[in-house]
Amino acid sequence: MDDIQAVNALIRRCVTGDAAAWQEIVQQYHRRIYNICYRFSGSPEDAADLSQEVFIKMYRTLSTFDTTRASFMTWVTTVTRNLLVDHFRKGKYDRITDSLEATPGNQDDGLTLAEKLEDPSAGPEAGVRSQEAQTLVHKALRKLSPELREAVILRDLQDMDYKDIALVLKVPEGTVKSRINRGRTELARLLQRSYRQVS
Amino acid sequence: MPSENQSGMQCVECEGLLAEAIDGALHGSTLAAFEAHQQSCPACRTMVEEATAGLHWLEGLDEVEPPRHLVHNILAQTIGALPSEHAVVSPRGEGWLDKVKGRLAPIFAPVATPRFAMSFGMAFFSITLLLSIAGLHISDLRRLDLSSKGIARTYSSTQARVIRYYDNLRLVYEIESRVRDLRRVAAPEKQQPEEPAPKTQPKSDNRQDQDKNRTNQNYSRDASQPELAVSPAGNEPGMKNLTNQARLNRRTA
Repeated sequence: MDDIQAVNALIRRCVTGDAAAWQEIVQQYHRRIYNICYRFSGSPEDAADLSQEVFIKMYRTLSTFDTTRASFMTWVTTVTRNLLVDHFRKGKYDRITDSLEATPGNQDDGLTLAEKLEDPSAGPEAGVRSQEAQTLVHKALRKLSPELREAVILRDLQDMDYKDIALVLKVPEGTVKSRINRGRTELARLLQRSYRQVS
Repeated sequence: MPSENQSGMQCVECEGLLAEAIDGALHGSTLAAFEAHQQSCPACRTMVEEATAGLHWLEGLDEVEPPRHLVHNILAQTIGALPSEHAVVSPRGEGWLDKVKGRLAPIFAPVATPRFAMSFGMAFFSITLLLSIAGLHISDLRRLDLSSKGIARTYSSTQARVIRYYDNLRLVYEIESRVRDLRRVAAPEKQQPEEPAPKTQPKSDNRQDQDKNRTNQNYSRDASQPELAVSPAGNEPGMKNLTNQARLNRRTA
């Protein structure tokens, strides 16, 4: 509760033109916004550009934030998501169409996809620790449809609860859960299919 | 696939509880029914396994580090200020200057960027350089004549300066000379039928006409009329004497 009050006070200071308050907001939220943009767009350059656009939009519309409707974190995520969707509709950040199997073949490090992706005896958690496996999962995430991708990003990467995700996506909570389940399932199928084809 | 099995749970219900089941939020009879349905329904069991695997993959993704210049760029584009390690909180009772700055900062944020400043600087430098080459100086602006005659005079003098500069270029002169020689070599037969230049210019007492003729001779010279450039009469000794005598008469008069 104290955190919420502190954030609201920070926002009030920022709205009155306090540059230091705005700087504090940027410092607090830039990492989160950048990660959402990066996982959604798939590119670090696009993520940096989109993050800047998100903060410019936030700076211009900060006075419209209503503390009684949602938390500031939810509002920030909503602004980010809306901007990402706008860019997606413009066709700038479409789903990748390249083959997931093509990527490991380009990296000539002597490891098979099975070795990079996972150690069957250790389970997927052990496999994803390697950088190559993280790259594969990241690419698989980009192959999901935008609706499923944003749901799993907000739930599994940003640890938001279903209620807040429903507010951000403007869909019922049941739809949020369904999208998250389908997103997780499709991602697992994509990675397992790649594994089976190579091994 | 059976929609309902011995557990009394339908596949649709199982799918609806999947998210809570993976989160570990199911308890009691609901959890028991969910697990029983999984045992008897291979499709739902596969779905649960895949969703759990997908969650593990996603949880294994690390948070990425934003670029170091990201905060700097954001602040530059929003408030046009550089980030400081220790943010100084300005007092609530700000002066009118700070308030004006605070209001104007978002308006000028798009142009108050290093990129814009660099572009503006380059444009200013280019314009200054062009003005300098054209012979215009800032100090001349005070004496600038903005009347129509003055503008026409400035235009004419600038044009004459440019033409003079162009004509005086050694390269241009040499190229013109070569072209003239080439034309002369390429079409010698065309020059032969032409009438030779008159040996004596018709005398005229009008000095202005003489000057004009001389000027026309100088500026209308081209490859087809090379002999017009030099008056043969000027080389005759008798003519020289006459000219000297005329000068002497003028001085004594």
